Amino acid sequence: MTDRTISVDYLARVEGEGALKVRIHGWNVEEVELQIFEPPRFFEAFLRGRGYAEAPDITARICGICPVAYQMSSCHAMEQALGISVGGQLRELRRLLYCGEWIESHALHIYLLHAPDFLGYPDAIRLAKDHPLAVKKGLKLKKAGNALMSLLGGREIHPINVRVGGFYRVPSKEELEAFRPELESALELAEETVHFAHTFKFPDVKEDYDFVALRPPNEYPLNEGNVASSTGLEVPASRFEEEFQEVHVRHSNALHCVRKGGGSYLVGPLARYALNYDRLPPRATSLAREVDLTPPVRNPFRSVLVRAVEIVFACEEALRIIDQYDPPESAWVPAPAPSGPTEGCAVTEAPRGILYHRYRLDEKGLIADAKIVAPTSQNQKRIEDDVRHLVTRSVHLDDESLGYACERAIRNHDPCISCATHFLDLEVVRD
Amino acid sequence: MHEQAMFRDLLRKVTEVAQAEGAPHITRIRLWVGALSHLTAAHLQADWAPMTQGTVAEGAGLEVTVSSDLNDPRAQGVVLMSLDVGAREPAPPPGTPGA
Repeated sequence: MTDRTISVDYLARVEGEGALKVRIHGWNVEEVELQIFEPPRFFEAFLRGRGYAEAPDITARICGICPVAYQMSSCHAMEQALGISVGGQLRELRRLLYCGEWIESHALHIYLLHAPDFLGYPDAIRLAKDHPLAVKKGLKLKKAGNALMSLLGGREIHPINVRVGGFYRVPSKEELEAFRPELESALELAEETVHFAHTFKFPDVKEDYDFVALRPPNEYPLNEGNVASSTGLEVPASRFEEEFQEVHVRHSNALHCVRKGGGSYLVGPLARYALNYDRLPPRATSLAREVDLTPPVRNPFRSVLVRAVEIVFACEEALRIIDQYDPPESAWVPAPAPSGPTEGCAVTEAPRGILYHRYRLDEKGLIADAKIVAPTSQNQKRIEDDVRHLVTRSVHLDDESLGYACERAIRNHDPCISCATHFLDLEVVRD
Repeated sequence: MHEQAMFRDLLRKVTEVAQAEGAPHITRIRLWVGALSHLTAAHLQADWAPMTQGTVAEGAGLEVTVSSDLNDPRAQGVVLMSLDVGAREPAPPPGTPGA
């Protein structure tokens, strides 16, 4: 057979990533079951028997949108296990890399997934027809986040420059300064995004959330801080499993995470904002005031505004880091060989909320056991609660309208299946 | 990993076309990525090799064209435009050095 070209012209479909089942009896909502695919559980098994230094690169593959979060949580956990601490400029560079991920992830969600909901469009394509400038600005913002990830991570997807102890290579002062104009422009776009989102009409909803986020002593959280809640919890990451518990549910591949002795809780922008508003830098604070975004924000639809304020924070923080940057002598802190079996854990703030990693290493530094608790599995029960409340309020709607309303309620929390919620398999059963 | 569903669908289609054409091997695949797709060319390039391992597309070259047209009706999608089919290199006869 000789080589030949076959034209296909086939539009790929995304299916089977998420499903929602709602059972309604009369006017009562009896069952809400959100089914999602959760890859971290498979990775926990892949990691066993691998060297500790491989964890950042392996776990980065869990998500193409937030690989930095997986790298950061795995690095911090391994560093705790090995007894090393990463501070100074290396710590700042990690925050800078994380800023890139927040910018691209939040911009993607706001402009391509969430904004169409508020402006009455079925998707970003129809939105772009009537608001091309807004969508172009969103794409430019996302590109700036991706470029920052490439600059520090070596490439924008699944970065390859992150290692336990720091980086393989650190940028020069000139490299970071050369990026400053793009970041300044991104900051302006981020401010416009806050004003853009402020024009949206928000349904009048208030949920009684138990917010959970990191709370560091004197900065908006990214890599460090105690795990805090709006109900008064404040514990180090090492006590995460004493306070939170993963449970199997029949209807989902993902484990549900709940407060021990309690119920659902919410992680992500609303939680971070509620617990760390006083740690926002000046421009983000001033914009939040301008759009009356007083914490805590308990209306899940207004999460789009909080995400926009968080992009402003990420741009401001990135500029601060670049301005004070003084390249470190070494790109990483060397890790000693383990003197025996050891264990470490860490929590960092993925764009969607806290991400917990725990590793047990044997005496050779091989991973004996891994546990990863992703933000989406922590929010899954809380999302079901939101949907249950929404269906209770909207039970009079026909199935199509109800399905759309449910998709919107899920998208409010930017789950990892966000892109797939436009393709959610919805089943409404009315008895 | 969340791109898996899309990759799975693309590979299903690639396999289907290869079978219909009686082609044992795909040598090149051309994808078009819409301006509003959440996937980037870097995404696709990074995940392509591991995802195609053990499939008819293993080892195939990947060409990605990224559109900037916001008004294209497929702007949020990824399109399998075309593929090149061909025979694998014949296996060397037994006893050949290095076989």
